[in-house]
Amino acid sequence: MKKTQTVAFANLIGSILFIILGIWAWIQTGKFEEVSNTYVQASSFPRIMIVGMLIFSIVLFVQSLLKLLSMKEGDKDALAAKAASINFVKDKSVLAGVVIILLCIGFVALFEILGYVICAALISVVIMYIIGKRNWLQMILVSVLVPLGMWLIFFKVLTVNIPMGPLQFLCDLVGKI
Amino acid sequence: MDFGLLFESYAAVWLNPQVILMTLLGACGGVLLGAIPGMTATMGVALLIPFSFGMDLIPSIGLLLGIYCGGMYGGSISAILIHAPGTPAAAATLMDGYPMCQKGQAGKALSVAMFSSFCGGVIGALVMTFLSPVVANMAMNFGPGEMFMLAIFGLSVIIAISGKSIAKGLISAFFGMLLCTVGLDPTNGIPRFITYKQTGLLDGFQFIPTLIGLFAVAEVIAGVERIVSGEEKQEKSNEKIKKVLPDLGTIKKIWPNILSGGLIGTFIGAIPGAGGDIAVFVSYGASKSASKHPELYGTGIPNGVAATESANNGCSGGAMIPLLSLGVPGDSVTAILLGAFIMKGITPGPMMYISELPTVYRVFAALMMANLAMLIVGCCGVRFFAKIVSVEKKLLYPIILIVSLLGAFSINKNVFDIGVCVAFGVIGWLMNKYEFPLSPILLALILGPMCEKNYVRFMNIQQGNFFAIFRSPIAVVFMAIAVAVIIYSIFNQRKINKRTAEAAE
Repeated sequence: MKKTQTVAFANLIGSILFIILGIWAWIQTGKFEEVSNTYVQASSFPRIMIVGMLIFSIVLFVQSLLKLLSMKEGDKDALAAKAASINFVKDKSVLAGVVIILLCIGFVALFEILGYVICAALISVVIMYIIGKRNWLQMILVSVLVPLGMWLIFFKVLTVNIPMGPLQFLCDLVGKI
Repeated sequence: MDFGLLFESYAAVWLNPQVILMTLLGACGGVLLGAIPGMTATMGVALLIPFSFGMDLIPSIGLLLGIYCGGMYGGSISAILIHAPGTPAAAATLMDGYPMCQKGQAGKALSVAMFSSFCGGVIGALVMTFLSPVVANMAMNFGPGEMFMLAIFGLSVIIAISGKSIAKGLISAFFGMLLCTVGLDPTNGIPRFITYKQTGLLDGFQFIPTLIGLFAVAEVIAGVERIVSGEEKQEKSNEKIKKVLPDLGTIKKIWPNILSGGLIGTFIGAIPGAGGDIAVFVSYGASKSASKHPELYGTGIPNGVAATESANNGCSGGAMIPLLSLGVPGDSVTAILLGAFIMKGITPGPMMYISELPTVYRVFAALMMANLAMLIVGCCGVRFFAKIVSVEKKLLYPIILIVSLLGAFSINKNVFDIGVCVAFGVIGWLMNKYEFPLSPILLALILGPMCEKNYVRFMNIQQGNFFAIFRSPIAVVFMAIAVAVIIYSIFNQRKINKRTAEAAE
């Protein structure tokens, strides 16, 4: 196994990302407006947190780097183990995870246009298909009835109005009952 | 303690049909969720919290406490039947529960687990009723400096819940604390990391969408990944259960384990950050050490099941002590409960015992009822719940996702919140994948605002002299406990890592 596939290497990358985030956040705090007659500025508390995050990111960076430098073939400790992959080109399971994220983004984008029930039905049918469900009757029943039931609970019991898109007529229909 | 008001509050809660119904529904949902491996009580409470918005405080707290108590017991069902604990707090139950199942005593194991869970829960609720007012009374003397140090003490337990790497746990915690600072500065109203045009973030990241994203959406993405890679297998149980309650002879044998487990669970649960997963192992160890036949532990004896199950349910009462008396959550579920209280306009803490005493007593009554509801639901449904472990995950994950996304929307009826939920789902998925623990973020999101608010107040009162904090004995005590917790946790984690490495070799 290559060193770049180990937990130690993943930790190294993770620590670098948090260091970058910390530096970016520190630069941002410099842009916060300052107020007179106060002992604590708006930037004070975030800066303490950034320093804490940077210190422990550097600790993780050094730990991981030292481990990578001293790592030998056959090491059995946790840092030498194989790290999880996020290569969605090579790994089908990661690709499935990425597709779920894209579906969620699509859900957010279409939520107000198509409404909750249609968006939720579509997203759940696609997810079931991706994870290998092939019983179409069960898939359609669950995908349609669960969002409808959820909407009904929120609409009638909790009096929360949820966008329904083209199915808006259901609100009037249920309202009349 | 005002016993008249306490009985009045108990009567108001126990005779309210809405509270009874919601608590029973919560217990039912909790047992169902807890029984499914991978679904925790935290996730159940996070998922169902949006359903409680339209309700009054006590029915909604009854619903959430029902899930909490039910989830704690539910975890033992799959631990006993299929050797897969439904929740981390049931991890120790399988040591004796599963061997009992293999010996053909699955029904007995489940009934002992249910009875012990109920007794442990009642012990926790009783201790909470009588101890939390004492703690709250002490906390009445707290000023901003003490409250700041209390928050630091709460945060110090992050190390204990950091898992294998303390550095990673602390990075998560500081990252969570940094997330709390996004939005308008609470003192001067200055925008931080945003502009006034980004109205969706002026109040910072909303707690519930963030929580649902980190715990539910991230779990769905990870679950889908596991199914596609073939790591997640469908569990099945064909066990037939004849008895729902243990017989008198068994109760006589296990009552010392129940009593000690309930008390251990309550006291460990009361330590912020230390939850049921720690309590069960401590209780199991204590029960084994005190036994005349320690060699029988692990071979399938009801005493082992009783010790662990009473401990994890005892935690529910214990974790409520710091929540109600200090405003500091005892574990991740009580952290969500704290969010539920705040959303209803009630801030838990010592002042609650003065301004909202009837509410406090009603919460006590609701917890007691949640334990009873768990017992009723358990007795009625234990045969059915045993089948829950066979629920098809391919149907379950999409349902969890669409319920989660709707839950995120329903708080402010804002699509932006669904976006926040999805974004935190991705962050949670990636952090879980690379073993950055999520619990410290949760604790930081809760304690961060309390920490900052009191820090700013203290610094302004003391004219910028931070070292004035050493003049307060209470603050110094909290500081000393925080340092002790940190040192103990570091040494403990090293010991755990060493043992894990030795076991691997």
